[in-house]
Amino acid sequence: MANIHLKTALDYIKRSPFQALAATFVLSLTFFVATLVSILVYSSSQLLSYFETRPQVIAFLKDNATESQIAELSGRLSSDTRIKEVKYVSKEEALAIYKKATSDNPLLGELVSPTIFPASLEFSVNDLTFAQGIIDEVKNETVVDSVGFTAALGGEESLQDVVGRLRTITTYVRFGGGIFTGILALASFMILLIIISMRIAMRREEVEILNLIGATRKFIRSPIILETLIYSTVGVMIGWTIAFIMVLYSAPGLLSYFGDVPVLPRDTLSLLIIFGVVLGVEFVFGIILSLSGSLLAISRVRRAR
Amino acid sequence: MVKFKDVTKKFGNVVALEKVTFEVDKGEFVFITGPSGAGKTTILKLILGEILPDGGGVSVNGVSVGDLSASEIPFYRQGIGTVFQDFKVLPERTVRENVEVALAVIGLSQDEWDGRVKHVLKLVGLEKQIDLFPRQLSGGELQRTSLARALVVNPKILLADEPTGNLDWETSDSIMQIFEKIHKEGKTVIMATHNEEIIKKYKKRVIHLVGGRMNNGKHSS
Repeated sequence: MANIHLKTALDYIKRSPFQALAATFVLSLTFFVATLVSILVYSSSQLLSYFETRPQVIAFLKDNATESQIAELSGRLSSDTRIKEVKYVSKEEALAIYKKATSDNPLLGELVSPTIFPASLEFSVNDLTFAQGIIDEVKNETVVDSVGFTAALGGEESLQDVVGRLRTITTYVRFGGGIFTGILALASFMILLIIISMRIAMRREEVEILNLIGATRKFIRSPIILETLIYSTVGVMIGWTIAFIMVLYSAPGLLSYFGDVPVLPRDTLSLLIIFGVVLGVEFVFGIILSLSGSLLAISRVRRAR
Repeated sequence: MVKFKDVTKKFGNVVALEKVTFEVDKGEFVFITGPSGAGKTTILKLILGEILPDGGGVSVNGVSVGDLSASEIPFYRQGIGTVFQDFKVLPERTVRENVEVALAVIGLSQDEWDGRVKHVLKLVGLEKQIDLFPRQLSGGELQRTSLARALVVNPKILLADEPTGNLDWETSDSIMQIFEKIHKEGKTVIMATHNEEIIKKYKKRVIHLVGGRMNNGKHSS
């Protein structure tokens, strides 16, 4: 039974190839953008999460700080439940880090001595909400000269400013991406509605004949619904595949640019899982889109009669 | 089998049928005749459940057509074969597919389609045209296709609305011979026609309508 409906649906597509192309194109575009927005939302969430959960705080120590004072402060920080991974960086280690960072210009490394780099205590906080409080507390320590944080996007004065800015960017990405995808989905829905309405109008005589020979509503609707399901399935596959290839192609560059920030998974399996989930969600969304579009078109035509 | 009791049908102010009463027995062949606008097609539409009477009742096999719900109508129609003056074949489907669609509608297993389609196409003389499209067929062949589609579901009743209206005499006669053959196999046939030559040649009971009323004086034996 499904064969005859599938054959009928494919026949409709063959008979009106430009309508079919229009529907497939707009659906492909929608699902292409939806896939990219999904990945962008994932990456921005990862970026935010990275800064929220791994804010590196550096307490630069005064030159006159003794080993026992440093050990005492380090011990207190380590025992603080809000703080994790306390690490002492000596002047020599700081110089080594500097030299590594300036390895492309060795002359810069030659010009400095360990004495100009302060020793420091580096640590992370478990939760961003504690960060500013801890920074303020550590600033008051007698052995601490100043406190800094590693993240900065452009002149922020506190760690919360950095995360606040990231949160704003993430919100823009989510809402902007969502609205853009929503507009495209609406356009796809309208195009499906128009195409199916035209299809039903073209099939009026056929529907009349089928009605007279005892075809049920389900029998008459099935090829129309199948046709929209074909459009959405092909649209999802094309849009998703192009986006997948684009992300795969740009992944090495992105990972290299962002360094430690896990904007994309580094292993292929995790990336495939994310894309697999996006594909599954898009298939479900495509089915909902095509079912609602075709059923609404059918009911509109029925009412018009 | 088919019973009309005081059936009245109006379209706006126009009375299409007025207090029409008749019965058609199982296995009977009846002509419904009369001039254009007499109500012939209205009778067939009432039997098919396409329209409902404004007064009186129509029953088929003891089932009141007016009492059928919208979801029951398709299943009711699956037991009735219908042939139309304008053939009503699906233009983008071959002869075989036009016949098969009726089998798909009744939900018959596809394994049984081929045998049934070939049998019925042989009955109407269209074995050679099985893979042709409607645009490649003559008027008579289109009507045979329509007849084959009606017969393939093995209906209890065969309704025909001016089946020879668009055909020349020779073709009309060959179509009528097929109807005669089907009738002899035990099918109930109700045919609306104003073709006097056919009515004279095939000598069946005639229900004669004039202006939506039955003219009981005219019968052929």
